Amino acid sequence: MPAKKRTVRIGNWYKSDDEKVHFTRKRKAPRPAKLRKIVPGQVLILLSGRFQGKRVVFLKQLKSGLLLVTGPFKINGVPLKRVNSAYVIPTSTKVDVTGVNANQIDDDYFKRTQAQRRKNEQGFWAKRGELTAEQQTAEKTRLDGKRNTQKSVDAALITAIKKTQLLKQYLGARFTIGKTTRPHELVF
Amino acid sequence: MVLAKFVEVGRVVKINYGPQEGKLATIVEILNDKRVLIDGPTTGVQRQVIPIRRLTLTKFNLKGATRGARSGVLTKAIKKSDPFAQYAQSIAAKKVAKKALRAKLNDFDRFRVMILRKRRSALLSTQLKSLKKNAGGKAQAQAKGGNKKK
Repeated sequence: MPAKKRTVRIGNWYKSDDEKVHFTRKRKAPRPAKLRKIVPGQVLILLSGRFQGKRVVFLKQLKSGLLLVTGPFKINGVPLKRVNSAYVIPTSTKVDVTGVNANQIDDDYFKRTQAQRRKNEQGFWAKRGELTAEQQTAEKTRLDGKRNTQKSVDAALITAIKKTQLLKQYLGARFTIGKTTRPHELVF
Repeated sequence: MVLAKFVEVGRVVKINYGPQEGKLATIVEILNDKRVLIDGPTTGVQRQVIPIRRLTLTKFNLKGATRGARSGVLTKAIKKSDPFAQYAQSIAAKKVAKKALRAKLNDFDRFRVMILRKRRSALLSTQLKSLKKNAGGKAQAQAKGGNKKK
């Protein structure tokens, strides 16, 4: 039997050496993550990070798709924080958030400032942690501003939380799994 | 141990396997050593043949149930004396209800239960301490001896 003629396809397109191939996104704007049935005021359990196991109150979904949550800070030490909804268990407990105003807070609130970046710089010539005097005062006012925002957001929340018995203690406690708990059978 | 629960006409049974799991019914007819005919017109169990293996016998009987009685006859008998209501008062039924309730608890409920149990046990221990104190020397020695055994 005659051997089949093998044709090697040679393309028309040859890459030049200095052309860099970048990963190009087909979609220009990021699509915000679709929110599962999570409602403002709902208590969420954080599953990862420094605050894993903590029960926090959900405030709103930011433009980036991340969830804005707060402890409240006085109750469990969790500040205003962005959280990925994939790393969260929503519980069926809800807090009344009608008095809470978190409208000013968006993704820019969490952006790192140049002073913060300077602090983390580790270049050979960079003196770590050294800020100019004006940068230090700017940092101080920025942090004070953040503390005030935290207080104002949490104030209305805490009064709402105090109305339900044991809710404050509930938010202050961490969620844990023991030997006998069956997570797949738990109703949240 | 005297056997008290018999497979007999009128015996109230609980189905513990199959699509009707958890429901109550009455034995209407015994077919052979392995199968019976049951019916539960008031509990939503269709008249059916079922293996005894799938049933748990309760200690209650439906008075007035005759062999092969039709659903209507059974309903009349239930109206006169409702064994299903009696069963609901029993400890077995209460245990089932408790288990179902516990399964429904949400995260906040479970936390509240934990706190309440802690409070109750704290109350009990303070009461016990005061009783031991007031009981005097003899009782205290007895109590101590009891603890050693454990």
